[in-house]
Amino acid sequence: MTLNELKQYNGTNGTKAYIAYKGVVYDVTQSDFWQNGDHEGIHTAGEDLTEALAHAPHGEEVFKRFPVVGKLEENEASVNTKKELNNKKQSQNNNNQQKFQDKPKKDTPKSLKIQIKSLYKQYHLHSMTVHFPIALHLFAAVINVLFLLNPKESYEVIVFYSLFIATIMGGVAMVPGILSWWVNYDFSTAKAFVVKLIVSVITFILGVIAINIYYANPASIYEYSFDGIVYHFIVLITGVNVIILGYYGGKITWGNRTKRVADDSLEAVNIIKEKYEDSTLGSMENSISILIGGAAGTGINTLEKILIEALKKSGYYVFSTKEFMSRVRGGSNTALIRISNTPIYAPCWKVDISIAMDKLALEHMHNRWRKDTIVLADESLSNNGENITTLPIEESAKKFGNIQYANSYIMGVVFSLLQLDNKNLLESISTHFKTDDDNIKVAELAFKDGKKLQKLFSKKISSEDSETINKLHLMNGTTASGFGFLVGGCNMVTSYPMSPSTGVLNFMASMSKQFDIALEQSEDEIASLHMVLGGWYGGARAMTTTSGGGFALMGEGLSLSGMTETPAVIYLAQRPGPATGLPTRSEQGDLNMAIYSGHGPFPRVVLAPGNLQECIEYGYLAFELADKYQIPVVFLSDQYLADSISMIEDIDFSSYEQKRYITKTSKEYQRYENTDDGISPRGIPDFGEGLICSVGDEHDQRGQITEDYAIREQMVAKRARKNDEILKNTIAPEIRGEGKIAIVGWGSTKEIIKEVLDSLDNDDLVQVHFAWVYPLAQEQLQVLKKYDFIVVVENNADGAFANQLKLHDIQVDKQILQSNGFNFFVDQLSEMIKDTLKEQL
Amino acid sequence: MSQLFARENVDIAWCSGCGNFGILKLIKEVLEELSVEKKNTVIVSGIGQAAKTPYYIDTNIFGVLHGRALPVATALKLSNTNLTVIAEGGDGDMYGEGGNHLIHTIRRDVNIVHIVHNNMVYGLTKGQASPTSQKGFVTGVQVNGVVNEPFNPLAVALSLQAGFVSRVNIGDISHAKEVLKKAFSHKGYALIDILQPCVTFNKTNTYSWFKENSYKLDVSYDSSDFDLALKKAFEFIPMPLGVLYQDTSRDNHFQKHILGENPKALYSVQHDIQKLQDLFNGY
Repeated sequence: MTLNELKQYNGTNGTKAYIAYKGVVYDVTQSDFWQNGDHEGIHTAGEDLTEALAHAPHGEEVFKRFPVVGKLEENEASVNTKKELNNKKQSQNNNNQQKFQDKPKKDTPKSLKIQIKSLYKQYHLHSMTVHFPIALHLFAAVINVLFLLNPKESYEVIVFYSLFIATIMGGVAMVPGILSWWVNYDFSTAKAFVVKLIVSVITFILGVIAINIYYANPASIYEYSFDGIVYHFIVLITGVNVIILGYYGGKITWGNRTKRVADDSLEAVNIIKEKYEDSTLGSMENSISILIGGAAGTGINTLEKILIEALKKSGYYVFSTKEFMSRVRGGSNTALIRISNTPIYAPCWKVDISIAMDKLALEHMHNRWRKDTIVLADESLSNNGENITTLPIEESAKKFGNIQYANSYIMGVVFSLLQLDNKNLLESISTHFKTDDDNIKVAELAFKDGKKLQKLFSKKISSEDSETINKLHLMNGTTASGFGFLVGGCNMVTSYPMSPSTGVLNFMASMSKQFDIALEQSEDEIASLHMVLGGWYGGARAMTTTSGGGFALMGEGLSLSGMTETPAVIYLAQRPGPATGLPTRSEQGDLNMAIYSGHGPFPRVVLAPGNLQECIEYGYLAFELADKYQIPVVFLSDQYLADSISMIEDIDFSSYEQKRYITKTSKEYQRYENTDDGISPRGIPDFGEGLICSVGDEHDQRGQITEDYAIREQMVAKRARKNDEILKNTIAPEIRGEGKIAIVGWGSTKEIIKEVLDSLDNDDLVQVHFAWVYPLAQEQLQVLKKYDFIVVVENNADGAFANQLKLHDIQVDKQILQSNGFNFFVDQLSEMIKDTLKEQL
Repeated sequence: MSQLFARENVDIAWCSGCGNFGILKLIKEVLEELSVEKKNTVIVSGIGQAAKTPYYIDTNIFGVLHGRALPVATALKLSNTNLTVIAEGGDGDMYGEGGNHLIHTIRRDVNIVHIVHNNMVYGLTKGQASPTSQKGFVTGVQVNGVVNEPFNPLAVALSLQAGFVSRVNIGDISHAKEVLKKAFSHKGYALIDILQPCVTFNKTNTYSWFKENSYKLDVSYDSSDFDLALKKAFEFIPMPLGVLYQDTSRDNHFQKHILGENPKALYSVQHDIQKLQDLFNGY
């Protein structure tokens, strides 16, 4: 097997634990020393441990116990690694030597570091030498206690010579220590290193002082003189120092690794946790959050829409999100609106104002209140000792003859509470309810009623100037993604409706009235994707929209796309699974399926935009990549991103280059021409003289089916080369900050994490965010290795993205997971991050 | 004759005597006689012995997965209505695995020619019953004989208002040619169910069995009579052959509805970016 295959057998989550040594793969699953794939906190299964054995406390006789399960293939990567780490082994066979000699000289500092690193690993000098000062200082301290109790000369001699050698060896041990600090830890300024540095220097200096006292004034040892006291103090304190040094030394070596991330069960993340009761974030001071709850079908969506438009007109940055039950009528849904005078893109759990349209809403929103939250409800709802302010909502609505007017009443109250100019609201209402101006009257009435409540709500946020705000556009992720696909040239959509992806289908359907888009609802998701393939084969730029359950049916279609090298774009808006799950809620649970669905290996790309801007950019990119590399591209969104409304600046669509990769064919055209980069020029029927032969069987360059094993190998290699091309063009993660603790996320958590980190204002924290989630290029991940502590935040229960990082040899120290149907909220996530950081080194 | 669409250097995988040879010849000859341009023709097929037929024809081909030829063919037709699109496969592929697609493709009335090789058995997978196998047919899986009601493709197609429904016997190739040519000229979905024997795995429904148990609809038959066609569709022993039903008023409404009266080939479509910009700016 290859090194990559070996990595899968890491012994976690029920997989077997395999290790490789000198090209042979052993199954160590049954071994007590490899429980859960962890060996002494030092090694993990799924690795080639040939190098590591050199500094193990045992030899290769240990492998005799284990069954052999295969051979490890030498791949290029492992050969290079060996080259770098085995300078000493020049006595190996000619082949290796030849490669080593042929390799061009790298720039010196880099190779010097690696050489020292390899030497260090071979002889682990610090570990060897540091035990002398530790043992001897301790010994000296202990014997010194004996001396103080019973001042015999022999004790004092022992103490002195121990101290003497300890001090010298301490100095000696510091040299490889600093070397190791450089080559292994990049001069990390984590606590353990700083402590060790300071304490070891102090210990050395104290030792020297004590030695000088002994030589200068040996008699003082027996006296209560200043010198004597200092001497004894030093002997004792250096004993304590080395305990500290030993502790932190051990922590550096094993500290983070004892807690295997795989062992962490999903902590019950209870956003109703008591300790988050009064959590606020700096950013929340600067924004006002309004939560409105009511039954489905009572107009909450309309209320939200009008209110945010009116608030935008009033000069505020606006963000809103909804959570709703899987039903068309009844139940309890909430809409959250946040306004601020600085751009705002994320939701909060605890709110400033909470408005309940019915009793159920009051109960449903209970957990969202702080002690100072203003809770408004109709006067008919009983005041169970809660601090609820009642208003004649229903009464006022009924005055005008329809309970639905309650919505307009609520809008009026909000504007009044926020002390805003009502005219903006009235304009928005009349734009929306063109024929019914009773809504205006209700809103005006509410505005008056609301004035009485103004004293309850003192938070006031100045508005931004209207000109700036008016330049911004309000839309949700669905709309932005749709625009992205259109600017990417989408001209065919074939979908089966499935929440929460249907929004894009609807958007494209309405666009099909103004643009040349062939749009058809398919009979099932199998047909959806196959139609996409038929479309691209014929020259169209086709896509389908679906959610996890529908994507599950597309497995074979993906495989067909991979084998026939027919492009495909799939919009996958995630919701919690498995199976039906929580149909109207949000999760990032389908990453593994997006990456691995479809039998047989073939290249693909998975994208996961994190905000409106990225929805557009990556929507465009999806089509570009599909066309260029002739692969399926999965565009991952989720209910939260699709439905949340925020603001976006102007986009210049003309700046998006309209590239097309169809080739006009000649009579000799071969669809699967074996090119260097693996990408065969793609022709279509009726465009040139050639014939386009695509088949799902293995095929030759012309597209004729074949079982010839040599051609098969050629084609497999060709398709794999496409993956290499893709890897050269991946988009790196976005990094914000220069600290040493990385908060890693992907997709829709972007703006939430951003607001949390901005508010925590901790220079140690860095946000690393991925919008291109598969395939990951090893070089781009190297940047993660410089961080001391890596936390991966995901809105799922399986930590799929963290697992991708681990597959690429990135150490994930902690995961923050959540799988309860909700997206993360800034206040709640900030508490989770703070808790997590307490556990780090 | 039949050289234009002949593909060279192909190793035909069928048993000698297979009905597929006849169908292969049939298609090549009809395409040539209709002067269909090979570079504008696409045959989409799924999986099965029948589905291999296009691999032996010199034209554009898209070999997809079992049962999935119809949705691929549908979208392919939309992507470029200038193409002559054929979906071809066996009774297992088209009536079994692809059953759902059959139903909805007929509802859409996409302008494709749907050629189904009906040999009442699964040949590629070595002899299991197919949706059209007769009751009592014994196989390695249906060890006590088939008990399920055989699928009736013509009745199903008619019930979904298919505009061209026909059945032929490959044993009578000239009659089959006549019918197939009519299918090509129909402006909508056209089904041709071609009875053929599987000489290796179906010893019941042989060439002679088909000949004895079918009859040709003669010139007096009115193929525009829907009720009559429905009645004919339920006749089994003997089975009527020919065009059971044709609605000549069909006029490619599916593609017109989706693409408009003057559809562009989608590869040449470029969206009006300014219009898109204006729409975005309106938010």
